[in-house]
Amino acid sequence: MIKHHPTFELIQSFVNGDLPASLSAGIAIHADMCPKCQKQIAQLTDQVAEASFEEAFLDRFIVDDSEDVNVLAEFDFDVMAEQITASNEVFVANEQLDKTIVFNDKTYKLPRALQSMVMGKTSHIGKLSRARIQLDENEIHTSLLQIEAGGSVPEHTHKGFELTVLLDGSFHDEQGEYVKGDFIMLDGSHQHHPISDNGCLCYTVANDALHFTQGINKLLNPIGSFIY
Amino acid sequence: MQTNLRSKVTNAKPSIMSDKIDHPQLCQWLNAVATSRDKQAFTHLFQFFGPKIQRIARNRFPNEAQASEVVQETMSNVWRKAHLFNKDKGAATTWVYTVMRNVTFDMLRKIKGNKEDNLSDDIWPVAESMVSENESFDDHLESKQLLHVIEKLPEAQQQVVKGFYFMEMSQEQLAVHLNLPLGTIKSRLRLALAKLKMQLGEGHD
Repeated sequence: MIKHHPTFELIQSFVNGDLPASLSAGIAIHADMCPKCQKQIAQLTDQVAEASFEEAFLDRFIVDDSEDVNVLAEFDFDVMAEQITASNEVFVANEQLDKTIVFNDKTYKLPRALQSMVMGKTSHIGKLSRARIQLDENEIHTSLLQIEAGGSVPEHTHKGFELTVLLDGSFHDEQGEYVKGDFIMLDGSHQHHPISDNGCLCYTVANDALHFTQGINKLLNPIGSFIY
Repeated sequence: MQTNLRSKVTNAKPSIMSDKIDHPQLCQWLNAVATSRDKQAFTHLFQFFGPKIQRIARNRFPNEAQASEVVQETMSNVWRKAHLFNKDKGAATTWVYTVMRNVTFDMLRKIKGNKEDNLSDDIWPVAESMVSENESFDDHLESKQLLHVIEKLPEAQQQVVKGFYFMEMSQEQLAVHLNLPLGTIKSRLRLALAKLKMQLGEGHD
C-alpha cells in the first residue's frame, strides 16, 4: 500500500501550475496510482478554478485604470472570438500508443506524464542504470533509475532535495520499505542508503548531486552526480 | 496574489459553489460549443472567461501581449476541445481553468527554457475523464473499429449515435438539438444499434 504522499503545499503548487515540469510530473505519476491524492487534487482544482473566475475576487487586483483596460480588452476580445470561431477545426486526440523503456532487457511502461519527454541514453554503474530525462531545468536533474535485484545506492545525503517516485518494484532504507507509487521527498537533513532486494525502477528529481557520507563510499562522491 | 489565493482556497467549501457564477449556464454554453459548434454560445463563454483570463495572466507574464496570447490560446483550445469536457466530472470553470493553467505552463516553459515540448496535457489531462468513464472504449483497437463502423452508418443515424454515446446527450436533448420528434430519435438509434450489432458481431450489447 502507498504510504508516502506529497505534502498539501506541494499539491497546491501543482494545481496552481507553479512547480517545474519535473516535480509536476512526479506528482501526476503518484496521483495516477493514488486515489486519495487524485481526489484531493480534483477538489483543490475545483476550488482554485472557482476562486479564479469569480469576478469580485479578481477585481481586488485591479487597482487603477481598470476602465481603460476593459474598453481596450473588449474590443480586442470581439476580434479574437471571431478569429477563433472562423476555424472549424476540432481537436482530435492522437491515438497514443503506450510508450515503453527498456533497462537491462526488462521493459517498463512509461507513465503518461513522461510520454512526451526526451530520454537521454542509458548509462550503467554496477547494478544501477540511469537514463537522464532532458527537461533543461538548470540545476534540477530528472532521471529514470533502475536498481537491479540486490543493488543499492551507497549511503548519502542531499544538499538540496531529492524526490523519488517508485514506478515498479520496491526498495527499503533505514526508514522502512517503499512500494510502487510511493512519493518520497527528502532534503539535506535526511541520510539514507536505499537497497532493492528484488529490483526497482524509480523516477528521480534532485536539484544537486548526492553526497556520499560513509567511509570508503566517500571515494564515490564523483559518481554522486552520475546517479542524480 | 499568492497570499490572497491561499486564504481564498482554504476558506472555500468544495460543495458550496459561489452564487456569483452561473455554473449551469456556463455548462450549457460549453456543451453547445461541443455538440453544435454554436458560435453564439462561444461568444458568451468568451465574454465571461476572456477578461478574467487576461487579468490572471497579467499577474504571471511581464507584458500585455503575452497575457493576450494566453487568452487567445486558452479560448481557441476551448473552441477546439470542448467535446473533451465532461459535465459529470466537474464544473465548466474547472475545465476552463485546466485548459488555461496548461497553456500558461507551456508558455512559461517556452519563455524561460526555450522549450516547446508542451508537456502540460500529459501532466494534467484535459480529457482524462472520457477515457476512464467509457470502459467499453478502453481498447484502442476496438474503439477504432467501432468508430469505423459508425462512420459507415447513414448520416442521420450517425448524428444520433455520436450525440448519444460520445457526447452523452439524452434522447430528449438530441430531439431538441436536432429539431426532430423524440420518436424519430428513438427509431434512428434503434436502427443504428441493430446495424452496429450486425457489423461487430454479437456480444457487444
